[in-house]
Amino acid sequence: MLDGILIGLSTALTFQNLLFVMLGCLVGTFIGMLPGLGPMSAIALMIPIAASLEPSAGIILMAAVYYGAIFGGSTSSILINAPGVASTVATSFDGYPMAKKGMAGKALAIAAYSSFSGGVIAALFLLIAAPFLASVSLSFQSTDYFALMVLGLVAVAAFAGKGDMAKALLMTVVGLMLSTVGTDQTQGVPRFTLGMIDLIDGISFLLLVMATFALSEALMAVLKPKGDADRLKEKEASANLGSMAVSKEEVKEMAPVIGRSSLLGFLIGVLPGAGATIASFLAYGTEQRLAGPKKGKEFGKGSVRGLSAPETANNAAATGSFVPLLTLGIPGSGTTAIMLGALIGYGIQPGPRLYIDQPDVFWSVIVSMWIGNIILLILNLPLIPYIARILAIPSRFLLPLILFFSLIGVYFVSFNTFDIQLMVVFAIAAIILRILDFPMAPMILGFILGGMMEENLRRALLINNDSWSFLWERPLTLSILVIAGLCLIAPFVSARIAAWRQAKSEPELEGD
Amino acid sequence: MLLSKDRIGGVLLLLFCLTYGYLSQDIRLLPFQANVAFHARTMPEVLAVLGIGLSLIVIVFPGSSEGLDMRGYDWPKVIVFLVLMSAYGLTIRPLGFIISTSLFLMIGFRLLGERKIPVLLMVAVPLVVAFWVLMTQGLDVFIEPLPSFLTKKG
Repeated sequence: MLDGILIGLSTALTFQNLLFVMLGCLVGTFIGMLPGLGPMSAIALMIPIAASLEPSAGIILMAAVYYGAIFGGSTSSILINAPGVASTVATSFDGYPMAKKGMAGKALAIAAYSSFSGGVIAALFLLIAAPFLASVSLSFQSTDYFALMVLGLVAVAAFAGKGDMAKALLMTVVGLMLSTVGTDQTQGVPRFTLGMIDLIDGISFLLLVMATFALSEALMAVLKPKGDADRLKEKEASANLGSMAVSKEEVKEMAPVIGRSSLLGFLIGVLPGAGATIASFLAYGTEQRLAGPKKGKEFGKGSVRGLSAPETANNAAATGSFVPLLTLGIPGSGTTAIMLGALIGYGIQPGPRLYIDQPDVFWSVIVSMWIGNIILLILNLPLIPYIARILAIPSRFLLPLILFFSLIGVYFVSFNTFDIQLMVVFAIAAIILRILDFPMAPMILGFILGGMMEENLRRALLINNDSWSFLWERPLTLSILVIAGLCLIAPFVSARIAAWRQAKSEPELEGD
Repeated sequence: MLLSKDRIGGVLLLLFCLTYGYLSQDIRLLPFQANVAFHARTMPEVLAVLGIGLSLIVIVFPGSSEGLDMRGYDWPKVIVFLVLMSAYGLTIRPLGFIISTSLFLMIGFRLLGERKIPVLLMVAVPLVVAFWVLMTQGLDVFIEPLPSFLTKKG
């Protein structure tokens, strides 16, 4: 391992590669910050440049763009509540309320420290545990993956709370439905294409995310213009970000959250299919549950824990998702799928032999993750006040720009004008559902996992001779499904217990 | 409340799920797949049943009884923006990136209250040209800048 680190250091610390890490972090932060252009489009845009570089330099550049874009995405989530990426949706739950309270500087600083810690800790895990984790995830079968995806979907719906759980589950199902549009992977028959050739490849993930988050967010601002009081508040926030200092109490509050979320994020990132989005939601939900009833109520209103958890977890998961990519050749997320395509373009086949055949590529990527995170922190902390000035842009200029970046971000991936029309349709649906208070995040997650879920279920049935018995016969699958069931029941049980406790305490009080 | 937000949403999504379920029957199956446990229709059918069931739960047992308050919504402006976005999609190729995007941004700024034409031009055009230069020169992504009849040579 020491030899590997030395190989990695000697490659990653060359002047040229350091320059690429810096450039990647800056470009990634900038692109990720613009609502509509997330890591996927950022990396896709980088492929032509990376292709002209040698493999390690190209991969280092793309990895840096990846981290930068995730960090940039959280910045737009916090400042204008328009997540550029699905993995920073959870960041906006508490980051945006903090910014609205005039603590945008603090929220951005917390996000920066959490991202840095999550990335660095996860890179350490990656270094120590990559071979071990690769063998563990090798033992996972289709049935386990299917169960894991059920758990991911149910857990997100469960976090919505008792009253909204049915709505969240319904939206998850809608997301799964949307994922079935296009050509069926096994038979090659078109499904729900309505005879349109543009739908043969299905709906693009980027398109759906942009339409439901960035577009609908900007259109909602047009639909319900802010009152003078709100506008004044926003202007104040941009003029005065508030202190960027994080107090001792807040550090104490964040430290265990960072530890837990790094581990959780990394482990989830390692599992193929379960990427930074699930990690951020799970970390958010876990912290909300661990916070207890009193602190838990602060979630969604500007909680430090609620902001730190998803920010740590999404960066840790981004690092974790490199494990299946580098050791098994399986992308752990949409972004690493694009990187896999780039690696294959270089003539590098990621997999167990990458260690042996191209150690410089393998180790330099790992080492550059540390360097990338350090550079991100050094670059972004002093830049935060300038980045935050985006709030000072009048909404009459900002809103059409958000619409433009969202539309063009999707158009640049496909160069198909049909995608713009489809975005308009999804934006209309998203606006209506937002007005009716239906959550969007479960739908996105359902959409991301839909294809993989169907594929794993089909494979599981094929292996088991068309028998569904694998659901209860394989202990690991059964355990994961039981956990999913518990997640579903837990809010009802805890509400019952709370009601029972209250009912029990009331007669005692009356007796006093 | 009889027509709460949850119920209206539930009914809309029920209609969506019913349509989805109906369309799922159009998925072509090969003869030998009739008795297979998993085929192209399995997942859509399961999802349609789940969706219909959950929509009914939302309609029958709504989480909240909050009604729909439509006061203060500027629907005409949003509809104009939706039309503008759609028109942008239709014009980006025939008009080229620079003209169509500049027009899109200028109309957008104008709709939201910017009245000064020099300001509209000064903000939109340089930004669009800078973006085009960054994309084509910096990132090597080719975008047709102007209408094809203006750029055709010879």
